[in-house]
Amino acid sequence: MLASCGDGKSSGSGSGSGSKSEVIAIAADPLEYINPLNENGSPGIQIAMAMFAPLVTTDPETGKLQNVMADSVTPDKTSQTWTIKLKAGNTFQNGQPLTAKDYVDSWNMTAMGSNAWKNNGFFSKVDGYDALNPPTPDGATPKPTAVKTLSGLKQIDDLTFSVKLKVPFSQFGLTLQYLGLAPLPEEVRKNPDAYKRKPIGNGPFKLAADWNAGDDIKLAKWDGYKGPLVPQADEITYRFIANADTAYNEFLAGNVDFVDVPSTKVKSFKTDAPDQWVTSISSGANYLVIPAWDPRFKNPKLRHAFSEAIDRKAFADLVGLSEPAKGLVAPDMAGYRDNACKYCDFDATKAKQLLQEAGGFSGPLNINYNTSSATGQIFAEAIGNMLRQNLGLTVKYTGKQGSEITELADSHKLDGLRFSGWGHDYPSIEDYLTPMFKSNGDANFAQYANPALDAVLAKGDAEPDPEKAIKLYQQAEDIALEDMPLIPLYTKSNAYLHSAKIEPRVSKFVGVSALWATFN
Amino acid sequence: MIRFILRRALAAVPIGVLVTLGVFALVFAMPGDPLRELAGDKPIPAAVLAAKRAQYHLDDPFIVQYLLSMKDILTGHFGTTFAGADIADQLRLRIPVTLKLTLLANAVQWTLGLFFGIYAGFKRNGWVDRSLLLATLVLLAVPGLVAYFAAQYLFGVELKWFPVSGVLEGFPRSYLLPALVIGVLGFAGLARLLRTSIVETVNADFVKTARAKGLGEQRVLWRHILPNALLPVVTFIGLDLAGMFGGAIITESIFNLPGLGQFMFQAIKLKEGGVVVLLSTLAFISFILINLLIDLLYGVLDPRVRNV
Repeated sequence: MLASCGDGKSSGSGSGSGSKSEVIAIAADPLEYINPLNENGSPGIQIAMAMFAPLVTTDPETGKLQNVMADSVTPDKTSQTWTIKLKAGNTFQNGQPLTAKDYVDSWNMTAMGSNAWKNNGFFSKVDGYDALNPPTPDGATPKPTAVKTLSGLKQIDDLTFSVKLKVPFSQFGLTLQYLGLAPLPEEVRKNPDAYKRKPIGNGPFKLAADWNAGDDIKLAKWDGYKGPLVPQADEITYRFIANADTAYNEFLAGNVDFVDVPSTKVKSFKTDAPDQWVTSISSGANYLVIPAWDPRFKNPKLRHAFSEAIDRKAFADLVGLSEPAKGLVAPDMAGYRDNACKYCDFDATKAKQLLQEAGGFSGPLNINYNTSSATGQIFAEAIGNMLRQNLGLTVKYTGKQGSEITELADSHKLDGLRFSGWGHDYPSIEDYLTPMFKSNGDANFAQYANPALDAVLAKGDAEPDPEKAIKLYQQAEDIALEDMPLIPLYTKSNAYLHSAKIEPRVSKFVGVSALWATFN
Repeated sequence: MIRFILRRALAAVPIGVLVTLGVFALVFAMPGDPLRELAGDKPIPAAVLAAKRAQYHLDDPFIVQYLLSMKDILTGHFGTTFAGADIADQLRLRIPVTLKLTLLANAVQWTLGLFFGIYAGFKRNGWVDRSLLLATLVLLAVPGLVAYFAAQYLFGVELKWFPVSGVLEGFPRSYLLPALVIGVLGFAGLARLLRTSIVETVNADFVKTARAKGLGEQRVLWRHILPNALLPVVTFIGLDLAGMFGGAIITESIFNLPGLGQFMFQAIKLKEGGVVVLLSTLAFISFILINLLIDLLYGVLDPRVRNV
């Protein structure tokens, strides 16, 4: 990696023949601003990844955590207080040195609820978060609080700061690779709105030209980024093409170098662009959600009966580029077990027997699907048919907007099953189990709660030894599989097309990246 | 004439209120929380949600939200979209895009429509007339979505005659292909209407009278037949043009043209009542203006309905 960044480098001289440039299509509406701390969508984080550098990152070769801006990240004995020391000599793209104060102040700004920045939620684990986010009565505007700083965040010296969490959390070091935690320099912090379209980062690329509303984003290599993992490209253009099929056609016409394969082309991309495609191992996991609030589904045996009645192989083939799920976490996670689920092999006889032991299921079973998804209804009917044929249930289907389904579920008014999926923010099986299965977890789709599982998760969070922590999280996964609030369905790969000019980086651990492509 | 225009403008005000109120009510009645739609699958902290809800008045009752939106529109304080875009900036960027596409598409449609319509009208049951009927049926049966993608693939990807999408190559190159497809899909209807209208007019008494008076064929055609035959066509063209100013949602999406149609689509997707109402108001105003123009044009073509 380090050896290759010296070759053919024309450091911003533009259209020199040695210049390595690529055009990456983003199938989304153009961004309106670049501010990693106020961004949690995939297009925004993708751009942030090019312009900002995280504290730590996952080594694409080994899957181990590697320091980037951080020199060391050290937990105390209980994993509750974490000390982060920065490398000396790093600067922002405006030349200002990158200091611990930049992190502390940027994070405090984000944690302030009245700023309404999207990564506010990340800091809910930090001591003092509640003081900056007092409960607001319905309809009231949150006011800036008198307290402006997180009591858990302390600057120790120019390059060192510490984070005290509310409770011990052994995975906190992993969460620091999230790009949404990138620092903003002082001039941006003073007036973030003025820098919406001229961000100042600390990463490998900077804006190459003025960026106005609706424009593509043109980036040029910034020599101040010292690595590790310096991308090869000298220039990158991100082109926003909201219609994914149009973006795909732009690739076929040779106008972009890298594009995501849209769901409509999953069956045809290998013939459309032979030898120019790559796939990732997984992009998270997908489930069928059984509402925990509905007494009709209370019996775990009934849930297991549903699970046994689903032919996952057939379903994964229908979805395309997918593998049957064998547990609740994605297969590229450390701690994934391909025999975790005992109720995921398709067995109609066993399913019927379990249903009988559970006392049957009365009334029609409703399956909700998202009408704004092209495949929502097809998938719902496929699952419905399996449950109907293998368990003799009466099944009906209801199509609604995704946001309406979520809203109904939140207020316990949703009738029956629905689909959901989850992809991790940081590579730890904990980032599957906590959000979806902990009582009041951020993404607890089924609104499931089991104190035993919460206790095991807490033990894992307090366990400083990574191997032992994984064992504890696996115990939590086992409990969740016995209760089965979510039925594992499939894990899906993502496919991408790339021009002959570039070879995207494909990693078992962090997926496919055009930013770190090598040039042929 | 001034009085006529003023009368029309005044009559438009209550209609405008009804239209915007209706559209706003429709958006308001759409299921789902707009901010959740914006956030996707990721959870949003309560404080952030509350701040955003307050910023966009989402907790206010329906009529208050409507009045606040109208106030913003009338005072020109458009504010920002949920996604953080400055709405005034967006309009500045998007209105020209939609205008260029609409005018070019209509130019194609009118040229083809008038040419084939007049020709078929005078050479009834000739091969042009018959092919036109067939073409009408075929073109009406082709869904726009299919035609747009097919044209994009054939002329953009395979033959490379036109850019695949986007406005990077400017006007007119970036707009030619979508305009041609809209024009070709739309001209047949116009041509059929004109043909029928001409057929009816050709046999009208006043045309026979004109011929009987010994007027030349050219004069009969240009002074007597066409002005009368064009009346229903003008109405059709006007409605068509006004409709297109609302933005061609599907075309703009497939050809990645950042016009009003895409803006409208995003706004509806996110349930952004304010933006939807603003765009509807714009569409409504252009509709009223074009209709007014047509009524004035009617007077020019037909003295009997002249509004003085």
